[in-house]
Amino acid sequence: MPLPGSLETLIDALRALPGVGPKSAARMAYHLLQRDRNGAARLAAGLTHALDKLHHCQRCNNFSETPVCDTCASPRRDARQLCVVEMPTDLNRLEETQAYKGLYFVLMGRLSPLDGIGPREIGLERLIERARDGVTEEVILATNFTAEGEATAHYASELLKARGLKVTRIARGLPAGGELEHVDGMTIAQALLDRRPA
Amino acid sequence: MSERVDGDPAFVLHTRPWRETSLIVDIFSRHHGRLGLVARGARRAGAAVKARLIPFQPLTLSWFGRGQLRTLHAAEWQGGGLMLRGHALMCGFYLNELLLRLLPEGDAHETLFDHYTLALADLNSRPEVEPVLRRFELDLLTELGYAQSLGHLASGGVIDPEARYGYEIGAGVIPPNRAAGYSGRALLALAAGDFSQPNTLAEGKLLMRALLAHYLGDKPLATRQLLIDLQRL
Ligand SMILES: [Zn+2]
Repeated sequence: MPLPGSLETLIDALRALPGVGPKSAARMAYHLLQRDRNGAARLAAGLTHALDKLHHCQRCNNFSETPVCDTCASPRRDARQLCVVEMPTDLNRLEETQAYKGLYFVLMGRLSPLDGIGPREIGLERLIERARDGVTEEVILATNFTAEGEATAHYASELLKARGLKVTRIARGLPAGGELEHVDGMTIAQALLDRRPA
Repeated sequence: MSERVDGDPAFVLHTRPWRETSLIVDIFSRHHGRLGLVARGARRAGAAVKARLIPFQPLTLSWFGRGQLRTLHAAEWQGGGLMLRGHALMCGFYLNELLLRLLPEGDAHETLFDHYTLALADLNSRPEVEPVLRRFELDLLTELGYAQSLGHLASGGVIDPEARYGYEIGAGVIPPNRAAGYSGRALLALAAGDFSQPNTLAEGKLLMRALLAHYLGDKPLATRQLLIDLQRL
């Protein structure tokens, strides 16, 4: 028996979520329609509202309701430092530490050569433009320590240094409170490679 | 029949997300060649295995199952100071893309596995990447039966270092034709694995490009395109 058209459309739409196949999408649709109609209405309204209101901040590329987001507009941030992250979730993690007072740039991705994700798909060109505002003194690359994050950091660094900017990379090594005995071998090997004068 | 493999030396070529919490891991293993494995739950928070499933690191992998249902159940790091950086890292991606595109699934290529291991070590330790890339391209094409001997003519005759030659795909080195592109000296050096002369590298690059273009077909290499796009910035 074919599904009613609107149900089929909903299931199809839910498959836009990452990692959701046809079965999960159907389960979600039945749950929302049968068990949580209020939740479903909030979800629909929330999506419409977010799509309408949220854009990329002109300065940091993160999502924002205003042309320039609160962080970028804040006079309390140190505009001489610019920290580059892959995703908004990475920015949130850095903010939680309260250890950084500079500004950010969110690439919204990483170079991923084997997935065909190149400089055009992430904000590399906008980063170069942003970093050349005349105020930025140091660009801190905080992309992930995956092969893709490393490749992204390398090429971002080359492009920024060629334009006369000072570029640094966040450190990699033992975790805070880490004991050699309990840390995995790859981390120890990388900490050895990345050792610094003491 | 379901298979069970314990502790095969292997490298991760690529990973991609699968369902909510899993990964599909494309590997190149010493005794089983290129395979896709499912690493169940590898993307869950705190799953330690994900940090080990990264490219260019010598691993031993264990899995069971068959076909599309092969499931990874253990991954151990083998140690070593291999950490590709900068341009060498992009070259590593290039080698992986060649293997993903050209190696048939499930065919063991132990000699090629050793060549690949050596190429990664060379990329890690040598300042010049070109000789490493040319050597691996030639090893790969030879191992797959796509490159004929460069040490003598397809007809069996001797190559004169002072003469120029053509190369016919599927046949080998042929007498000079209209597009005679390769010097005898460069062909003999390539056959001997001697990449010390700049001209060997230059002509070797042309020959490898022509062969790879033939066997890769119409779809361009993503790693090559990415480098072209980066140059434009
Ligand atoms: Zn902003």
